Amino acid sequence: MTSLEFDPAATVGMTTPAEPVATENERAGLATWRAFRTEPLGLISLGILALLVVVAIAAPLLAPYPASYGTDVLKPPSLDYLFGTDSLGRDVLGEVIWGTQQSLLVAVSASVIAIAFGTLVAVLGAYFRKLDGFISVIVDLTLSLPVLPLMILIAALIGPSTGTIIGVVAAFSWPEVTRLVRSQALTVVNLPYVDAARLMTTSPLWIISKHIVPAVTPVIVVSVVVTASRAVLSAAGLAFLGLGDPTTWSWGRILYEAQQSGAMSSAWWLTLFPSIAILLLVLSATLLSIAYNDARNPRNRAR
Amino acid sequence: MRQRILVTAALAASVALTLSACAPSAPPASTSTASAGSDTLTIATTTDVVNYNPLIGNSRSDYWITNLMYPHLLSIADDGKKEPALATDWGYVDATTGFYEIRDDLTWSDGEPVTAEDVAWTMNAVKKDAPSGTFYGQLGNFESATAVSDTRVEVKLTQADSSIIEEIGFWGNVVPKHVFEKAASVADFPNDGSDGGWVGAGPFTLTKVQVGQSYELDRVEDYPMVEGGTPIPAKVVYRVFPDVNTEILALQSGEVDVIANALPPAQVDQLKNSSGIEVEEVVGLGYAHMTYNMQNPDLAKLEVRQALAHAVDYDAIRTVVLQGQAVSTGSSPLMPVLSDYYDDSLTEYEFDTDKARSLMEEAGYTADSSGNFPVSFRLIYSLQDSVTSQWAQLVKDSAAKAGITIELQGTERNTYLAQTNAGDFDIYAGNFAIMDDPVTNFTLAYLPGGAINYTYVDDPALNELIAQGAVTSDTDEKIQIMRDAAKIVHDNVYDNIMYTQNLYFAHSDKWDGFITKPSELLSIVNPESLASAHKAE
Repeated sequence: MTSLEFDPAATVGMTTPAEPVATENERAGLATWRAFRTEPLGLISLGILALLVVVAIAAPLLAPYPASYGTDVLKPPSLDYLFGTDSLGRDVLGEVIWGTQQSLLVAVSASVIAIAFGTLVAVLGAYFRKLDGFISVIVDLTLSLPVLPLMILIAALIGPSTGTIIGVVAAFSWPEVTRLVRSQALTVVNLPYVDAARLMTTSPLWIISKHIVPAVTPVIVVSVVVTASRAVLSAAGLAFLGLGDPTTWSWGRILYEAQQSGAMSSAWWLTLFPSIAILLLVLSATLLSIAYNDARNPRNRAR
Repeated sequence: MRQRILVTAALAASVALTLSACAPSAPPASTSTASAGSDTLTIATTTDVVNYNPLIGNSRSDYWITNLMYPHLLSIADDGKKEPALATDWGYVDATTGFYEIRDDLTWSDGEPVTAEDVAWTMNAVKKDAPSGTFYGQLGNFESATAVSDTRVEVKLTQADSSIIEEIGFWGNVVPKHVFEKAASVADFPNDGSDGGWVGAGPFTLTKVQVGQSYELDRVEDYPMVEGGTPIPAKVVYRVFPDVNTEILALQSGEVDVIANALPPAQVDQLKNSSGIEVEEVVGLGYAHMTYNMQNPDLAKLEVRQALAHAVDYDAIRTVVLQGQAVSTGSSPLMPVLSDYYDDSLTEYEFDTDKARSLMEEAGYTADSSGNFPVSFRLIYSLQDSVTSQWAQLVKDSAAKAGITIELQGTERNTYLAQTNAGDFDIYAGNFAIMDDPVTNFTLAYLPGGAINYTYVDDPALNELIAQGAVTSDTDEKIQIMRDAAKIVHDNVYDNIMYTQNLYFAHSDKWDGFITKPSELLSIVNPESLASAHKAE
């Protein structure tokens, strides 16, 4: 975690590469990629994530949309049904493939909303110090709420749908982002080049968008991945509790239906395959963010 | 498999015979071949008891546990006919006076006798305090009850009603007057045993409660309503499990002996083939149905309702979702299980999407270039009801083939009930566990203002027939009237009855002697069954 924080000591002896300055983006990016290429775990994770994205996009080519019912009920995995069938005779492989679409959609949408809102709040707080106290209180307050019961309550009150899930997960993910980005932005705001920028313009918008946001981008990239994987977990959890969209396939819904139909104790394939999918996505997202973070840290590159 | 069952049965019979031979209290040549022992029967349930007051309707566990303590006047047979329980005889003195004759050999667990005064007091208290629940719902035409002797209760009615005596007798419990009268209102009385424990008159009495864990009931030594006069298990323990999956695992591992909840259809075959587990079939006495809200101008048109009814693949629903464990009712509210009333001249709406399309065109709708009619209906169902959740999707898909858009709205149970009561739906999907008496059901389901009139139907001809049925005491005449009423419901699609589901219950093969009764409420956990259950080996 320490590597995410801006370490002033690290900048003392280094004039250019370490400082998170916008103009260094291209060279720093290249250096990061060179370092990243040497991390096998990171590359594998990237590959798995890319595969999941391909599966989501190419779902219609890979498997037909699960029909409303089939005649082979609760069949274990075989050559006909690689992942077996569920209690309505539907192909679990198709459900997992189409579920990838929904799960990635929730992951991307929820994290984009959380990141956009969280970053905005963070840089505003860092730049306008008068707002900072208020924002910090709100962030601390939101972070101390019991998230899962609140998510369940809201999802139950509004009614299950993909939009609800995205909204609920985003609503409880942004404070983490704010906290992370704010700590980085606070140090950036105090750097001399921001003071210099203040001499050139009176527009805070220009300074924030041209100087501060680019400087905190690496932190944002890391939190996108982490927030997205958390969103998948939350969405699957909510769907398993019956608060997901009952008309769209998601990994959580496969688990939920297995539980509802009482098939969990006998049909292991109903729970194994969606769980593996969730595990793959969350694990690879986490490993990817660690690898990226290590790669962009100049001190690690020197090793 | 068949052979194994035969062997088990023979073994059980011989063991039971030996048992009865060395037990002098068992009556000779009786059908019950086991006698009171020291065994504990453990039953799995998925919900805690919310309410210990049997007069207030609530969760399944409430019903199962209070039912073991507070007797009903009447019981029910597989065909919906009423059988004697606490009452030995019942009927009408005249059109507006009914009566019950009750047994004189039952006592409350504190030693007080169960008398006609308890029965009359319970009914009057429920009428006065109006606790929410089915019991109060049956008291519409009830005026007052009087104990004319220790064993005879007479009931005054506000108007002639030829069903009410059997319905009150079946749905109402009897509670001890000397315990319940201390409360200001029976509707608020928690009956949680805080005042020195529970007083019941069933085969078992609740003694120990650990919320979230278990409910222990001890045998009542003197219970004349079971063969032998004493219930066979010494203790009945209800244990709470998170869901049916964990219940099945607990049964397989021998942690529990019975699962009180009905098995999900897809699990029945699997458990039938598991060693150590027996599966009992219980006939359904209710139905699953869809109603079309006629307050919606599109659904007020007969052709649209017919089109929807013809756009459902009933066979697929029964074979796939219900695994063949359901029977068609011929789309009539008079189910085959009500053998006296069932009318086989009414046949099920045929699944025919072309016919549905032409009906929509007759109703004045034109399909767009992709074959879809400009209508969309919102179908509500409860997500806790896994069977309905599954077939709702099939209904949507088959309607889409007929060019009719159905939007599914499955919600959490309480939201669903609120929507149902507010009429906030186009199509309602749900089911009723026990629809034993046609007149009562038609009154509630098809008369304007009826508690379950989810179609919002108000058809003068139908209203007239139902009113006639309620006052007709001649059985044959009443049957004919109700058949005519069912035909109106069928032909006008005022209700789309899809099937009666037969239920399956699992118990360990170490136990035997269960007596099945219709519906999940009674099944194999009814008082008579648990009092007669005995170890098989």
